[in-house]
Amino acid sequence: MRQQLIQALVALLLIAAILLGVEFGVREGYLKAYEFPPASRIAQGFVELTTVGFPTGVTIWTHTFVTVMRILKGYVAAIVIAVPLGLLIGAVPVLDKMTAPLIVFFRSVATLSLLPLAIVWFGAGELTKVILIGYGCFWVMLSNVIAGVKYVDPALIRAARSFRVSGWTLYREVVLPAALPRMFAGARVALGVGFMVIVGAEMIGTIQGLGALIMEARSFYRSEITVIGMLVIGVLGFLISSGLAAFERLLLPWGGGSSEASR
Amino acid sequence: MSRTGPERASSAAGAAPMIDIRHVRKQFDVRGGGEALVLDDINLSIAANQFLSIVGRSGCGKTTLLNIIAGLDAASGGEVLIAGRRVVGPGQGQGMVFQQHALFPWLTALENVVFGARSLPLAKAEKIDRARELLQLVGLEASAGKYPREMSGGMQQRIAIARALALDPDILLMDEPFGALDELTRIEMQQELLRIWEARRKTVVFITHSIGEALTLSDRVILLAPHPGRVARDIAIDLPRPRSRTDRRFNEFYEQIWSGLSS
Ligand SMILES: Nc1ncnc2c1ncn2[C@@H]1O[C@H](COP(=O)(O)OP(=O)(O)O)[C@@H](O)[C@H]1O
Ligand SMILES: [Mg+2]
Repeated sequence: MRQQLIQALVALLLIAAILLGVEFGVREGYLKAYEFPPASRIAQGFVELTTVGFPTGVTIWTHTFVTVMRILKGYVAAIVIAVPLGLLIGAVPVLDKMTAPLIVFFRSVATLSLLPLAIVWFGAGELTKVILIGYGCFWVMLSNVIAGVKYVDPALIRAARSFRVSGWTLYREVVLPAALPRMFAGARVALGVGFMVIVGAEMIGTIQGLGALIMEARSFYRSEITVIGMLVIGVLGFLISSGLAAFERLLLPWGGGSSEASR
Repeated sequence: MSRTGPERASSAAGAAPMIDIRHVRKQFDVRGGGEALVLDDINLSIAANQFLSIVGRSGCGKTTLLNIIAGLDAASGGEVLIAGRRVVGPGQGQGMVFQQHALFPWLTALENVVFGARSLPLAKAEKIDRARELLQLVGLEASAGKYPREMSGGMQQRIAIARALALDPDILLMDEPFGALDELTRIEMQQELLRIWEARRKTVVFITHSIGEALTLSDRVILLAPHPGRVARDIAIDLPRPRSRTDRRFNEFYEQIWSGLSS
């Protein structure tokens, strides 16, 4: 506890020192405000974003809301499809063997490299963005669900069999709970992927969303606004990830490896 | 042959055996072709309520033999009879305690023991009553609500014993159950096991690589020789309990087993 406090204090001091250094550096002309936006400019930018908006009329709240909704749509759709599919593939060795190379292939394709093709197929609107996020999240989640089911500790399966538990009961009461920690870990990694994809996906065909905000600010040399966009994405990712962790603790009170999964 | 041959030990054990191991052989397919003979013509008659230990070097086939008795693995040749019935699977009177406890981490101590009775045609409430009784037997009724992670190694192994007793088996098969415990806990657990064995009167097949442990516990010690696994010696331990490690005859037995192992 005390050590954590000291660590937090050191981190805060470090950040404060950097901010002060930049502020001073810009004021004295050693640094360009465009390259290193000082804290005072960032604060002004934030006020502008909450009132006037950037571009005019689109406040930071709108950007944030739009981005969160896009991520949620793609993410939830990916999870809803990946979980049952993974549970099935993981349980049937033949299916697993057949799909393994495909899954590795599709997972390895960097999602944003699909952007041009996706625009051709689905247009430059909302659908493309949600589908790209869904794509990125889906393969990560799928491979984690499959691995969770496949790599259940064989000792646990033996133990269950020694009590004459087999078949569907074995799957439901042993394989499934044993796979949950891995599935939660997958859900968190997938969320991270969603955040990575969104910024790229929003750089085209929209002026709403945090990715669009960053892109738009860049073309107007408003680097303090891009910094705010980055910060909001970071804070969002942190909040949602913490929410998932809390949900996991609630659902897996036995502590199924949440500490390892949080890294 | 040893001074106390198989004839003497089995005649001391009584007439109708609880476990009858007849010409059991086991070979595994070796990667890259061929087969490895792990057990060769194992013959053992184990009387009801006998406490039998199997001692042998690592890799000599002890676990393989126990799994065959448990009905978790099939023999390549020969057969195992339990109370005259041929073993075709688990749940024919065998209860199993594994080396790494193999408790279900998502279930509490009580729930783990209830799981042991999973295949019994009893009402849930009756299973819970039975589980509570077993927790009491192993002295852990106060820890009923704890998860395995929250318990020490010794407590986990007690829960595993309680769980193995949930189907009220005639036979307790134990695969190096105390191997991972520290010396003090180990000695405590040996006393505990003897107490349970006396309270519930089971036939016990106990695997260990500790000669001292085998001598402290058993009516009979089997030495398994490696490559392929076969019965090298069969020694009746006719010492009164509780046994003292400083007793002269205890040490004579120790020497006898040690010479059998190192020859
Ligand atoms: N599933 C398996 N496939 C191939 N070889 C196995 C398998 N299980 C055990 N063995 C081999 O059988 C031998 C005996 O193993 P085991 O019964 O676990 O020995 P112990 O319990 O006495 O240490 C070892 O050489 C091991 O490598
Ligand atoms: Mg073994």
